[in-house]
Amino acid sequence: MEQVQYHIRCKKDEVNKAVLLPGDIERANYIGTKFFHDSVKIVDNREFHIYNGSYENKPVAVCSTGIGCMSAAVAIEELTNIGCKYFIRVGTCGSLSSQINPGDIIIATGAVRGDGASKEYVPIEYPAVADYRTVTALRNRAKKENTDYSLGIIRTHDAFYMESPFAFGDYKKRVAIWAEAGVLAIENESSTLFVIGSLRKVQVGAILVVAGNLITGKKGTKDELQKSIDKAITIAAGALVDL
Amino acid sequence: MKKMHHLQIEPGQIGEFVIMPGDPGRCHLIAEHFENPQLIAQSREYITYTGKYKGLRVSVTSTGMGCPSAAIALEELIMSGAKHLARLGTTGALQKKINLGDIIIPTSAVRLEGTSVEYIPIEFPAVADIDIVDALIKAARGKNQKSHIGIIMSHDAFYKGSVFTDPDFLKREQVWIDSNVLSVENESSALFTIGYLRKVKVGTILTVVANHLTRKVITDEEKINPIFHRMTDICLEAFKNMEKE
Repeated sequence: MEQVQYHIRCKKDEVNKAVLLPGDIERANYIGTKFFHDSVKIVDNREFHIYNGSYENKPVAVCSTGIGCMSAAVAIEELTNIGCKYFIRVGTCGSLSSQINPGDIIIATGAVRGDGASKEYVPIEYPAVADYRTVTALRNRAKKENTDYSLGIIRTHDAFYMESPFAFGDYKKRVAIWAEAGVLAIENESSTLFVIGSLRKVQVGAILVVAGNLITGKKGTKDELQKSIDKAITIAAGALVDL
Repeated sequence: MKKMHHLQIEPGQIGEFVIMPGDPGRCHLIAEHFENPQLIAQSREYITYTGKYKGLRVSVTSTGMGCPSAAIALEELIMSGAKHLARLGTTGALQKKINLGDIIIPTSAVRLEGTSVEYIPIEFPAVADIDIVDALIKAARGKNQKSHIGIIMSHDAFYKGSVFTDPDFLKREQVWIDSNVLSVENESSALFTIGYLRKVKVGTILTVVANHLTRKVITDEEKINPIFHRMTDICLEAFKNMEKE
Protein backbone atom coordinates (compact mmCIF):
# COMPACT_ATOMS: atom_id res chain seq x y z
CA MET A 1 0.00 0.00 0.00
CA GLU A 2 2.45 2.63 -1.15
CA GLN A 3 -0.33 4.81 -2.49
CA VAL A 4 -1.82 7.66 -0.53
CA GLN A 5 -5.06 6.56 1.13
CA TYR A 6 -8.09 8.15 -0.48
CA HIS A 7 -9.54 9.98 2.54
CA ILE A 8 -6.90 10.14 5.24
CA ARG A 9 -4.25 11.24 2.73
CA CYS A 10 -1.30 9.34 4.11
CA LYS A 11 0.87 6.39 3.14
CA LYS A 12 2.26 3.21 4.67
CA ASP A 13 3.92 3.76 8.08
CA GLU A 14 3.18 7.48 8.17
CA VAL A 15 0.82 7.12 11.16
CA ASN A 16 2.02 5.51 14.42
CA LYS A 17 0.57 2.01 14.96
CA ALA A 18 -1.42 2.78 18.15
CA VAL A 19 -4.26 5.22 17.48
CA LEU A 20 -6.91 6.96 19.57
CA LEU A 21 -10.16 7.44 17.66
CA PRO A 22 -12.33 10.31 18.92
CA GLY A 23 -15.35 11.26 16.83
CA ASP A 24 -14.90 14.99 17.22
CA ILE A 25 -12.20 16.83 15.25
CA GLU A 26 -11.74 19.28 18.13
CA ARG A 27 -11.07 16.36 20.48
CA ALA A 28 -8.38 15.05 18.14
CA ASN A 29 -6.73 18.47 18.20
CA TYR A 30 -7.09 18.59 22.00
CA ILE A 31 -5.50 15.14 22.45
CA GLY A 32 -2.74 15.86 19.93
CA THR A 33 -1.75 19.18 21.45
CA LYS A 34 -2.51 18.69 25.19
CA PHE A 35 -1.79 14.99 25.87
CA PHE A 36 0.90 13.97 23.37
CA HIS A 37 4.52 15.10 23.44
CA ASP A 38 6.42 16.14 20.31
CA SER A 39 3.16 16.00 18.40
CA VAL A 40 2.90 16.81 14.72
CA LYS A 41 -0.33 17.29 12.83
CA ILE A 42 0.06 15.26 9.68
CA VAL A 43 -3.46 15.29 8.20
CA ASP A 44 -6.31 17.78 8.09
CA ASN A 45 -8.80 16.54 5.52
CA ARG A 46 -12.61 16.42 5.86
CA GLU A 47 -13.42 15.05 9.36
CA PHE A 48 -10.10 13.23 9.56
CA HIS A 49 -7.49 15.11 11.56
CA ILE A 50 -4.42 13.08 12.47
CA TYR A 51 -1.54 13.74 14.87
CA ASN A 52 1.52 11.62 15.54
CA GLY A 53 3.16 12.05 18.93
CA SER A 54 4.43 10.23 21.97
CA TYR A 55 2.82 9.26 25.27
CA GLU A 56 4.91 7.90 28.12
CA ASN A 57 7.76 7.88 25.59
CA LYS A 58 5.95 5.50 23.23
CA PRO A 59 4.81 6.44 19.69
CA VAL A 60 1.03 7.00 19.45
CA ALA A 61 -1.40 8.78 17.15
CA VAL A 62 -4.89 10.23 17.16
CA CYS A 63 -7.35 10.39 14.27
CA SER A 64 -10.84 11.87 14.41
CA THR A 65 -13.50 9.76 12.69
CA GLY A 66 -16.39 12.19 12.39
CA ILE A 67 -19.87 11.18 13.59
CA GLY A 68 -21.24 7.80 12.59
CA CYS A 69 -20.12 4.39 11.40
CA MET A 70 -19.80 5.40 7.76
CA SER A 71 -16.88 7.75 8.26
CA ALA A 72 -15.50 5.72 11.20
CA ALA A 73 -15.26 2.67 8.90
CA VAL A 74 -13.34 4.72 6.33
CA ALA A 75 -10.90 5.89 9.01
CA ILE A 76 -10.14 2.46 10.50
CA GLU A 77 -9.92 0.74 7.09
CA GLU A 78 -7.44 3.26 5.74
CA LEU A 79 -5.42 3.37 8.97
CA THR A 80 -5.24 -0.45 8.88
CA ASN A 81 -4.16 -0.32 5.23
CA ILE A 82 -1.13 1.75 6.20
CA GLY A 83 -0.10 -0.50 9.09
CA CYS A 84 -1.94 0.70 12.24
CA LYS A 85 -2.77 -2.16 14.63
CA TYR A 86 -4.19 -0.83 17.92
CA PHE A 87 -7.27 1.37 18.14
CA ILE A 88 -9.20 2.82 21.05
CA ARG A 89 -12.29 4.91 20.47
CA VAL A 90 -12.61 7.74 23.01
CA GLY A 91 -15.98 9.41 22.88
CA THR A 92 -19.23 10.34 24.54
CA CYS A 93 -22.49 8.43 24.89
CA GLY A 94 -25.99 8.59 26.33
CA SER A 95 -26.66 6.39 29.37
CA LEU A 96 -29.51 3.87 29.28
CA SER A 97 -29.23 3.00 32.98
CA SER A 98 -30.58 5.06 35.86
CA GLN A 99 -27.46 3.91 37.76
CA ILE A 100 -25.00 5.42 35.26
CA ASN A 101 -24.81 9.22 35.44
CA PRO A 102 -23.36 12.02 33.34
CA GLY A 103 -19.59 12.10 33.80
CA ASP A 104 -19.39 8.34 34.46
CA ILE A 105 -17.03 6.22 32.38
CA ILE A 106 -17.98 3.11 30.37
CA ILE A 107 -15.65 0.47 28.93
CA ALA A 108 -17.44 -1.51 26.20
CA THR A 109 -17.12 -5.29 25.86
CA GLY A 110 -19.41 -5.46 22.81
CA ALA A 111 -21.95 -3.43 20.87
CA VAL A 112 -25.47 -3.90 19.53
CA ARG A 113 -25.20 -3.57 15.75
CA GLY A 114 -27.92 -0.97 15.20
CA ASP A 115 -25.81 0.66 12.49
CA GLY A 116 -25.88 0.17 8.74
CA ALA A 117 -22.18 0.06 7.84
CA SER A 118 -21.26 -3.18 9.64
CA LYS A 119 -24.10 -5.00 7.84
CA GLU A 120 -22.35 -4.42 4.53
CA TYR A 121 -19.32 -6.28 5.93
CA VAL A 122 -20.76 -9.42 7.50
CA PRO A 123 -24.22 -10.81 8.36
CA ILE A 124 -25.98 -9.40 11.41
CA GLU A 125 -25.57 -12.61 13.51
CA TYR A 126 -21.82 -11.88 13.78
CA PRO A 127 -20.94 -10.28 17.15
CA ALA A 128 -19.50 -6.77 17.44
CA VAL A 129 -17.04 -7.67 20.19
CA ALA A 130 -14.26 -5.49 21.58
CA ASP A 131 -10.75 -6.99 21.57
CA TYR A 132 -10.39 -8.65 24.99
CA ARG A 133 -6.73 -7.61 25.39
CA THR A 134 -7.70 -3.99 24.80
CA VAL A 135 -10.58 -4.25 27.30
CA THR A 136 -8.15 -5.64 29.87
CA ALA A 137 -5.61 -2.89 29.17
CA LEU A 138 -8.32 -0.24 29.63
CA ARG A 139 -9.51 -1.82 32.89
CA ASN A 140 -5.96 -2.00 34.24
CA ARG A 141 -5.33 1.67 33.45
CA ALA A 142 -8.67 2.72 34.95
CA LYS A 143 -7.68 0.90 38.14
CA LYS A 144 -4.29 2.64 38.12
CA GLU A 145 -6.09 5.99 37.80
CA ASN A 146 -8.47 5.05 40.66
CA THR A 147 -11.36 5.58 38.29
CA ASP A 148 -14.66 3.72 38.61
CA TYR A 149 -16.21 2.50 35.39
CA SER A 150 -19.11 0.40 34.12
CA LEU A 151 -18.25 -2.59 31.96
CA GLY A 152 -20.63 -4.14 29.42
CA ILE A 153 -22.52 -3.98 26.16
CA ILE A 154 -23.39 -0.67 24.51
CA ARG A 155 -25.66 0.13 21.57
CA THR A 156 -24.39 1.71 18.36
CA HIS A 157 -26.89 3.22 15.93
CA ASP A 158 -27.08 5.70 13.06
CA ALA A 159 -29.99 8.10 13.58
CA PHE A 160 -29.19 10.55 16.40
CA TYR A 161 -32.57 12.25 16.12
CA MET A 162 -34.36 8.94 16.70
CA GLU A 163 -32.55 7.96 19.93
CA SER A 164 -31.20 10.84 22.03
CA PRO A 165 -32.53 13.43 24.50
CA PHE A 166 -33.02 15.67 21.45
CA ALA A 167 -34.95 13.03 19.49
CA PHE A 168 -38.41 13.35 18.00
CA GLY A 169 -41.40 11.79 19.74
CA ASP A 170 -41.17 9.08 22.37
CA TYR A 171 -37.49 8.13 22.22
CA LYS A 172 -37.72 6.43 25.63
CA LYS A 173 -40.08 3.86 24.15
CA ARG A 174 -37.65 3.19 21.29
CA VAL A 175 -34.73 2.53 23.62
CA ALA A 176 -36.70 0.62 26.29
CA ILE A 177 -35.86 -2.81 24.83
CA TRP A 178 -32.11 -2.10 25.13
CA ALA A 179 -32.38 -0.55 28.58
CA GLU A 180 -34.25 -3.65 29.81
CA ALA A 181 -31.56 -5.89 28.28
CA GLY A 182 -28.93 -4.18 30.43
CA VAL A 183 -27.33 -2.32 27.55
CA LEU A 184 -25.37 0.45 29.25
CA ALA A 185 -25.43 3.31 26.75
CA ILE A 186 -25.98 4.52 23.18
CA GLU A 187 -23.40 5.92 20.76
CA ASN A 188 -22.61 5.95 17.05
CA GLU A 189 -19.31 4.28 16.05
CA SER A 190 -18.19 1.29 18.15
CA SER A 191 -20.08 -1.62 16.54
CA THR A 192 -18.57 -1.04 13.11
CA LEU A 193 -15.12 -0.42 14.57
CA PHE A 194 -15.34 -3.71 16.54
CA VAL A 195 -16.56 -5.71 13.52
CA ILE A 196 -13.87 -4.35 11.21
CA GLY A 197 -11.31 -5.03 13.94
CA SER A 198 -12.30 -8.73 14.02
CA LEU A 199 -12.38 -9.00 10.22
CA ARG A 200 -9.05 -7.29 9.64
CA LYS A 201 -7.32 -8.74 12.74
CA VAL A 202 -6.52 -5.44 14.42
CA GLN A 203 -7.25 -4.72 18.10
CA VAL A 204 -10.13 -2.34 18.85
CA GLY A 205 -11.58 -1.11 22.14
CA ALA A 206 -13.77 1.77 23.29
CA ILE A 207 -13.97 3.98 26.37
CA LEU A 208 -16.88 6.41 26.65
CA VAL A 209 -17.95 9.26 28.88
CA VAL A 210 -21.65 9.63 29.64
CA ALA A 211 -22.77 13.05 28.40
CA GLY A 212 -26.43 12.63 29.34
CA ASN A 213 -28.88 10.06 30.67
CA LEU A 214 -31.74 9.13 28.34
CA ILE A 215 -33.78 7.57 31.12
CA THR A 216 -33.51 10.19 33.89
CA GLY A 217 -32.90 13.18 31.59
CA LYS A 218 -29.84 14.24 33.66
CA LYS A 219 -27.15 16.17 31.81
CA GLY A 220 -23.60 16.92 32.93
CA THR A 221 -22.11 20.40 33.11
CA LYS A 222 -19.38 21.24 30.62
CA ASP A 223 -16.71 21.32 33.34
CA GLU A 224 -17.76 17.96 34.82
CA LEU A 225 -17.74 16.31 31.42
CA GLN A 226 -14.37 17.80 30.50
CA LYS A 227 -12.84 16.33 33.66
CA SER A 228 -14.18 12.87 32.79
CA ILE A 229 -13.11 13.18 29.17
CA ASP A 230 -9.56 14.04 30.33
CA LYS A 231 -9.66 10.94 32.53
CA ALA A 232 -10.90 8.75 29.66
CA ILE A 233 -8.16 10.08 27.35
CA THR A 234 -5.51 9.40 30.02
CA ILE A 235 -6.80 5.83 30.49
CA ALA A 236 -7.04 5.19 26.74
CA ALA A 237 -3.60 6.61 25.91
CA GLY A 238 -2.11 4.57 28.76
CA ALA A 239 -3.84 1.43 27.52
CA LEU A 240 -2.42 1.97 24.01
CA VAL A 241 1.05 2.17 25.53
CA ASP A 242 0.48 -1.13 27.41
CA LEU A 243 -0.75 -3.05 24.34
CA MET B 1 -38.68 -25.16 47.72
CA LYS B 2 -40.13 -26.12 44.38
CA LYS B 3 -38.13 -28.33 42.06
CA MET B 4 -37.11 -26.83 38.73
CA HIS B 5 -39.38 -28.03 35.98
CA HIS B 6 -36.73 -29.74 33.84
CA LEU B 7 -33.51 -30.02 35.85
CA GLN B 8 -35.35 -31.42 38.90
CA ILE B 9 -33.01 -29.53 41.23
CA GLU B 10 -33.90 -27.16 44.06
CA PRO B 11 -32.30 -23.84 44.97
CA GLY B 12 -29.50 -24.60 47.43
CA GLN B 13 -28.63 -27.93 45.86
CA ILE B 14 -26.01 -26.47 43.53
CA GLY B 15 -22.93 -24.28 43.91
CA GLU B 16 -22.62 -20.75 42.50
CA PHE B 17 -20.00 -22.16 40.10
CA VAL B 18 -21.29 -24.60 37.47
CA ILE B 19 -19.68 -26.50 34.59
CA MET B 20 -22.04 -27.23 31.68
CA PRO B 21 -21.12 -30.01 29.25
CA GLY B 22 -23.52 -30.78 26.40
CA ASP B 23 -23.34 -34.54 26.84
CA PRO B 24 -24.93 -36.01 30.01
CA GLY B 25 -22.44 -38.85 29.63
CA ARG B 26 -19.61 -36.46 30.48
CA CYS B 27 -21.06 -35.28 33.82
CA HIS B 28 -19.66 -38.27 35.65
CA LEU B 29 -16.18 -37.70 34.19
CA ILE B 30 -16.27 -34.06 35.29
CA ALA B 31 -17.64 -34.91 38.77
CA GLU B 32 -14.60 -37.17 39.30
CA HIS B 33 -12.66 -33.92 39.82
CA PHE B 34 -14.94 -32.90 42.74
CA GLU B 35 -14.39 -33.81 46.38
CA ASN B 36 -17.35 -35.84 47.58
CA PRO B 37 -19.54 -35.52 44.46
CA GLN B 38 -23.27 -36.09 45.02
CA LEU B 39 -25.68 -36.96 42.22
CA ILE B 40 -28.46 -34.38 42.70
CA ALA B 41 -30.83 -35.10 39.84
CA GLN B 42 -31.22 -36.97 36.61
CA SER B 43 -34.02 -36.02 34.24
CA ARG B 44 -34.19 -36.08 30.44
CA GLU B 45 -30.76 -34.90 29.13
CA TYR B 46 -30.01 -33.10 32.39
CA ILE B 47 -27.72 -34.68 34.98
CA THR B 48 -26.51 -32.65 37.96
CA TYR B 49 -23.73 -33.40 40.45
CA THR B 50 -22.58 -31.10 43.27
CA GLY B 51 -19.31 -31.33 45.16
CA LYS B 52 -16.30 -29.28 46.22
CA TYR B 53 -13.09 -28.18 44.57
CA LYS B 54 -10.41 -26.87 46.97
CA GLY B 55 -13.22 -25.90 49.32
CA LEU B 56 -15.32 -24.17 46.64
CA ARG B 57 -18.85 -25.55 46.13
CA VAL B 58 -19.20 -26.49 42.47
CA SER B 59 -21.72 -28.31 40.29
CA VAL B 60 -21.90 -29.87 36.88
CA THR B 61 -25.12 -29.90 34.84
CA SER B 62 -25.43 -31.21 31.28
CA THR B 63 -27.37 -29.06 28.81
CA GLY B 64 -28.16 -31.57 26.08
CA MET B 65 -27.48 -30.61 22.46
CA GLY B 66 -28.56 -27.29 21.06
CA CYS B 67 -29.65 -23.89 22.32
CA PRO B 68 -33.28 -24.80 23.20
CA SER B 69 -32.26 -27.28 25.90
CA ALA B 70 -29.15 -25.29 26.88
CA ALA B 71 -31.28 -22.19 27.48
CA ILE B 72 -33.60 -24.18 29.78
CA ALA B 73 -30.63 -25.52 31.72
CA LEU B 74 -29.08 -22.07 32.12
CA GLU B 75 -32.35 -20.40 33.17
CA GLU B 76 -33.11 -23.08 35.77
CA LEU B 77 -29.51 -23.06 37.08
CA ILE B 78 -29.72 -19.27 37.52
CA MET B 79 -33.07 -19.64 39.32
CA SER B 80 -31.33 -22.17 41.57
CA GLY B 81 -28.51 -19.78 42.49
CA ALA B 82 -25.76 -20.26 39.87
CA LYS B 83 -23.67 -17.12 39.23
CA HIS B 84 -20.57 -18.27 37.33
CA LEU B 85 -21.06 -20.81 34.55
CA ALA B 86 -18.73 -22.34 32.00
CA ARG B 87 -19.78 -24.47 29.05
CA LEU B 88 -17.31 -27.24 28.38
CA GLY B 89 -17.72 -28.94 25.03
CA THR B 90 -16.57 -29.94 21.57
CA THR B 91 -16.34 -27.96 18.36
CA GLY B 92 -15.50 -28.18 14.65
CA ALA B 93 -12.69 -25.90 13.46
CA LEU B 94 -13.20 -23.47 10.57
CA GLN B 95 -9.55 -22.44 10.20
CA LYS B 96 -6.77 -24.60 8.75
CA LYS B 97 -4.25 -23.69 11.47
CA ILE B 98 -6.50 -25.13 14.22
CA ASN B 99 -5.71 -28.80 14.90
CA LEU B 100 -7.70 -31.67 16.39
CA GLY B 101 -7.33 -31.65 20.17
CA ASP B 102 -6.65 -27.89 20.33
CA ILE B 103 -8.46 -25.76 22.91
CA ILE B 104 -10.63 -22.77 22.01
CA ILE B 105 -11.77 -20.07 24.47
CA PRO B 106 -14.36 -17.90 22.69
CA THR B 107 -14.78 -14.19 23.34
CA SER B 108 -18.17 -14.16 21.59
CA ALA B 109 -20.35 -16.10 19.16
CA VAL B 110 -22.20 -15.68 15.88
CA ARG B 111 -25.93 -16.06 16.67
CA LEU B 112 -26.92 -18.47 13.91
CA GLU B 113 -29.52 -20.17 16.10
CA GLY B 114 -33.16 -19.62 16.87
CA THR B 115 -33.27 -19.52 20.67
CA SER B 116 -31.45 -16.26 21.48
CA VAL B 117 -33.54 -14.40 18.90
CA GLU B 118 -36.61 -15.03 21.06
CA TYR B 119 -34.81 -13.18 23.85
CA ILE B 120 -33.43 -10.09 22.11
CA PRO B 121 -33.10 -8.79 18.52
CA ILE B 122 -30.33 -10.26 16.41
CA GLU B 123 -28.13 -7.13 16.42
CA PHE B 124 -27.34 -7.73 20.13
CA PRO B 125 -23.84 -9.28 20.44
CA ALA B 126 -23.44 -12.71 22.07
CA VAL B 127 -20.41 -11.82 24.19
CA ALA B 128 -18.85 -14.13 26.79
CA ASP B 129 -18.30 -12.58 30.22
CA ILE B 130 -14.83 -11.07 30.10
CA ASP B 131 -13.95 -12.06 33.69
CA ILE B 132 -14.63 -15.73 32.90
CA VAL B 133 -12.73 -15.45 29.60
CA ASP B 134 -9.76 -13.91 31.43
CA ALA B 135 -9.88 -16.53 34.18
CA LEU B 136 -10.03 -19.40 31.67
CA ILE B 137 -7.12 -17.97 29.65
CA LYS B 138 -5.02 -17.54 32.80
CA ALA B 139 -5.89 -21.01 34.12
CA ALA B 140 -5.02 -22.58 30.74
CA ARG B 141 -1.68 -20.75 30.68
CA GLY B 142 -1.03 -21.87 34.25
CA LYS B 143 -1.32 -25.46 33.04
CA ASN B 144 0.87 -24.81 29.99
CA GLN B 145 -2.17 -25.30 27.76
CA LYS B 146 -2.18 -23.18 24.60
CA SER B 147 -5.56 -21.89 23.45
CA HIS B 148 -7.09 -20.11 20.48
CA ILE B 149 -9.07 -17.03 21.53
CA GLY B 150 -11.68 -15.38 19.31
CA ILE B 151 -15.14 -15.55 17.78
CA ILE B 152 -16.98 -18.87 17.29
CA MET B 153 -20.30 -19.67 15.58
CA SER B 154 -23.32 -21.35 17.19
CA HIS B 155 -26.00 -22.93 15.01
CA ASP B 156 -28.94 -25.32 15.20
CA ALA B 157 -28.82 -27.74 12.27
CA PHE B 158 -25.96 -30.22 12.70
CA TYR B 159 -26.67 -31.89 9.37
CA LYS B 160 -26.43 -28.57 7.53
CA GLY B 161 -22.99 -27.73 8.87
CA SER B 162 -20.73 -30.58 9.92
CA VAL B 163 -18.15 -32.90 8.38
CA PHE B 164 -20.90 -35.51 8.03
CA THR B 165 -22.89 -33.26 5.70
CA ASP B 166 -23.08 -32.98 1.92
CA PRO B 167 -19.92 -31.46 0.39
CA ASP B 168 -21.68 -28.13 -0.11
CA PHE B 169 -21.59 -27.28 3.59
CA LEU B 170 -18.32 -25.38 3.24
CA LYS B 171 -19.99 -23.03 0.77
CA ARG B 172 -22.50 -22.11 3.46
CA GLU B 173 -19.72 -21.68 6.01
CA GLN B 174 -17.39 -19.67 3.74
CA VAL B 175 -18.72 -16.32 5.00
CA TRP B 176 -17.75 -17.31 8.57
CA ILE B 177 -14.39 -18.77 7.54
CA ASP B 178 -13.62 -15.49 5.76
CA SER B 179 -14.71 -13.53 8.86
CA ASN B 180 -12.05 -15.24 11.02
CA VAL B 181 -14.58 -17.33 12.96
CA LEU B 182 -12.55 -20.02 14.70
CA SER B 183 -15.05 -22.87 14.93
CA VAL B 184 -18.63 -24.09 15.01
CA GLU B 185 -20.71 -25.52 17.88
CA ASN B 186 -24.32 -25.48 19.10
CA GLU B 187 -24.87 -23.77 22.46
CA SER B 188 -22.63 -20.81 23.31
CA SER B 189 -24.42 -17.91 21.60
CA ALA B 190 -27.66 -18.47 23.52
CA LEU B 191 -25.76 -19.07 26.76
CA PHE B 192 -23.76 -15.82 26.35
CA THR B 193 -26.87 -13.81 25.43
CA ILE B 194 -28.98 -15.11 28.32
CA GLY B 195 -26.03 -14.74 30.71
CA TYR B 196 -25.79 -11.03 29.92
CA LEU B 197 -29.56 -10.51 30.20
CA ARG B 198 -29.69 -12.29 33.59
CA LYS B 199 -26.49 -10.61 34.85
CA VAL B 200 -24.54 -13.82 35.51
CA LYS B 201 -21.08 -14.65 34.19
CA VAL B 202 -21.01 -17.19 31.36
CA GLY B 203 -18.02 -18.42 29.35
CA THR B 204 -17.05 -21.41 27.24
CA ILE B 205 -14.06 -23.69 26.73
CA LEU B 206 -14.04 -26.11 23.80
CA THR B 207 -11.89 -28.81 22.31
CA VAL B 208 -11.62 -29.35 18.59
CA VAL B 209 -12.91 -32.78 17.48
CA ALA B 210 -13.20 -32.01 13.76
CA ASN B 211 -11.75 -29.66 11.18
CA HIS B 212 -14.23 -28.71 8.46
CA LEU B 213 -11.48 -27.75 5.99
CA THR B 214 -9.24 -30.79 6.34
CA ARG B 215 -12.27 -33.06 7.10
CA LYS B 216 -10.30 -34.78 9.86
CA VAL B 217 -12.40 -36.03 12.81
CA ILE B 218 -11.77 -37.60 16.22
CA THR B 219 -14.47 -40.15 16.94
CA ASP B 220 -12.63 -42.23 19.52
CA GLU B 221 -14.00 -41.23 22.96
CA GLU B 222 -10.81 -42.50 24.56
CA LYS B 223 -8.88 -39.77 22.74
CA ILE B 224 -11.39 -37.10 23.76
CA ASN B 225 -11.70 -38.00 27.45
CA PRO B 226 -8.19 -36.93 28.52
CA ILE B 227 -8.83 -33.51 26.94
CA PHE B 228 -12.09 -33.24 28.90
CA HIS B 229 -10.18 -34.00 32.10
CA ARG B 230 -7.71 -31.24 31.22
CA MET B 231 -10.50 -28.76 30.39
CA THR B 232 -12.25 -29.60 33.67
CA ASP B 233 -9.01 -28.84 35.55
CA ILE B 234 -8.75 -25.50 33.72
CA CYS B 235 -12.40 -24.64 34.46
CA LEU B 236 -12.17 -25.47 38.14
CA GLU B 237 -8.93 -23.54 38.56
CA ALA B 238 -10.52 -20.56 36.77
CA PHE B 239 -13.50 -20.74 39.16
CA LYS B 240 -11.18 -20.91 42.15
CA ASN B 241 -9.33 -17.80 40.95
CA MET B 242 -12.61 -15.95 40.34
CA GLU B 243 -13.73 -16.72 43.89
CA LYS B 244 -10.60 -14.96 45.20
CA GLU B 245 -11.38 -11.78 43.22
